[in-house]
Amino acid sequence: MRLYLELAKKSFQNNIVYRADYFASLINAIVLIFVNIAIWKAINEEEGALGGLQLNILITYIVISFLMQTVYQMDEYFIEGKVRTGLISTDLLKPFYFRLFVFSYNVGSMVFKFIMQFIPAMLLSVFLFRLLPPFNTQMLLYFILSAILGYLVLYNINFIVWISSFWFYWTFSLVTIKDAAVMILSGALIPIWFMPTWLIDFIELTPFNAIFYTPILIYLGMMPEDEIFMSIVKQILWIIALFGIGHILWKRATKKLVVQGG
Amino acid sequence: MRNSGFLESLNVFYQYSKLSLKVMLEFKLDRSMITLAIFCREMIAVVVMLLILARFLHIRGWDMNQLFFLYSFLFISYSLFVFIFAGVRDFDQLVHSGEFDRYLIRPRGLLFQVVASKIDLPATLGHGVVGVILFMNTAFSVGITWNMQNILFYISVVVGGAVIQASIFMLTACMSFWAIRIENIRNLIFFNARRIAGYPISFYPAFIQKMLIFIVPFSFVNYFPAQFFIRKEDMNLFWDGFMYMTPVVGVVMFVVVSLFWRFGVRSYSSSGNALY
Repeated sequence: MRLYLELAKKSFQNNIVYRADYFASLINAIVLIFVNIAIWKAINEEEGALGGLQLNILITYIVISFLMQTVYQMDEYFIEGKVRTGLISTDLLKPFYFRLFVFSYNVGSMVFKFIMQFIPAMLLSVFLFRLLPPFNTQMLLYFILSAILGYLVLYNINFIVWISSFWFYWTFSLVTIKDAAVMILSGALIPIWFMPTWLIDFIELTPFNAIFYTPILIYLGMMPEDEIFMSIVKQILWIIALFGIGHILWKRATKKLVVQGG
Repeated sequence: MRNSGFLESLNVFYQYSKLSLKVMLEFKLDRSMITLAIFCREMIAVVVMLLILARFLHIRGWDMNQLFFLYSFLFISYSLFVFIFAGVRDFDQLVHSGEFDRYLIRPRGLLFQVVASKIDLPATLGHGVVGVILFMNTAFSVGITWNMQNILFYISVVVGGAVIQASIFMLTACMSFWAIRIENIRNLIFFNARRIAGYPISFYPAFIQKMLIFIVPFSFVNYFPAQFFIRKEDMNLFWDGFMYMTPVVGVVMFVVVSLFWRFGVRSYSSSGNALY
């Protein structure tokens, strides 16, 4: 356990070094939030367009969603890089579980982004966009739990895609297509409740709404309390299922690992 | 050697293109997958816009066809830009790897070599297909009569838009001559500006409008040309002359940046770490 904490700490410190990247992605998040809010405000001007839903709620949705996206950004080419350079063969020999190593690496930078980007941007948003606070303290706690589970859902989806680098030399295309699916179907860019019913029904069958949508609904207090329990159970089930798929793929991948030169 | 003529240059360009194409055909599956991936990535914004409009029908008097027509300019001109200027887009890598030194000793113009040596077909097609889909679905339903005059203006506007984007990239490419790395900031500014320009700039606060007109002139890539064709009310916010200025802005930016480029080449000293 201490070993993995240490690895996460290293990854955290690694992030501090790249200051330009840090400011770039912070500004990026703020600009995107700002632009999206401008668009939603324009939509809101058509009278009653938002169906009585307060603009404030929508703005809060957008802000939380974009901030979560910033924090949930992972190093998509970490495993690919290891496979391509052949470093993975020595990593596999080291006395740790490779998958836990990758996980701690990502958690380290997630914690960094949470402290250094999420919190400042959140405070800024309270002033800039009049962000609504969580519905109540209880919902805040549920939100934190659900957000952590959302991260794990996304992580396990990502892991399945990353593992494909054992079969394909480059994973850029798969990663990008996966990103497109996540961005649209997770409700990250437009709240799922605005989508047509057939699409909502489809999304219900996928793990995508368990990433951002569930935690944000809880934050906003838009999910009835009896549904919260079910949604969280659903998140956990998806984590187990996706982890299972990842596990099987991993077993196969390590069996057929071919390192090209190194 | 330098004055060996236009035809000679054209021949070199042809040879370069043939080589790039051969490289591409070597990895057919991979490059097709990349094209598909870029297509999907670019479709994100389109699908989101579609979902919003399926629900709300129009935003500030702009309906779906008009908004997609506006959007199509961004894709088509970017596609043209990448097709011709992919070398400029990736110029910083050329300098950092030391590869650029080889260009200096060849008997051809530098800019010509940079432009000719690289073709990024996946990006061209990925963006181009999105652009053409949007254009074909909207161009005949937003009330434009496609007479000769309009067609010529459309072409000049798309070329102008491509040149504007090329100039922005060349400007940052010039920074590489002084070993200043600003790719991150450039991408931040360029792609955010592009994303902002996806919707009519009249939706945004005044300072963002000013920025897209005077600093990162993306409004000349799509908003003002689209206004020339479909003339919405919100054009009253801006000076009418802007609608015709896209080609002018393109030419002026290109001339200024070319001068800057020459200045940059003169003060270039190699990074001295050739990787190849």
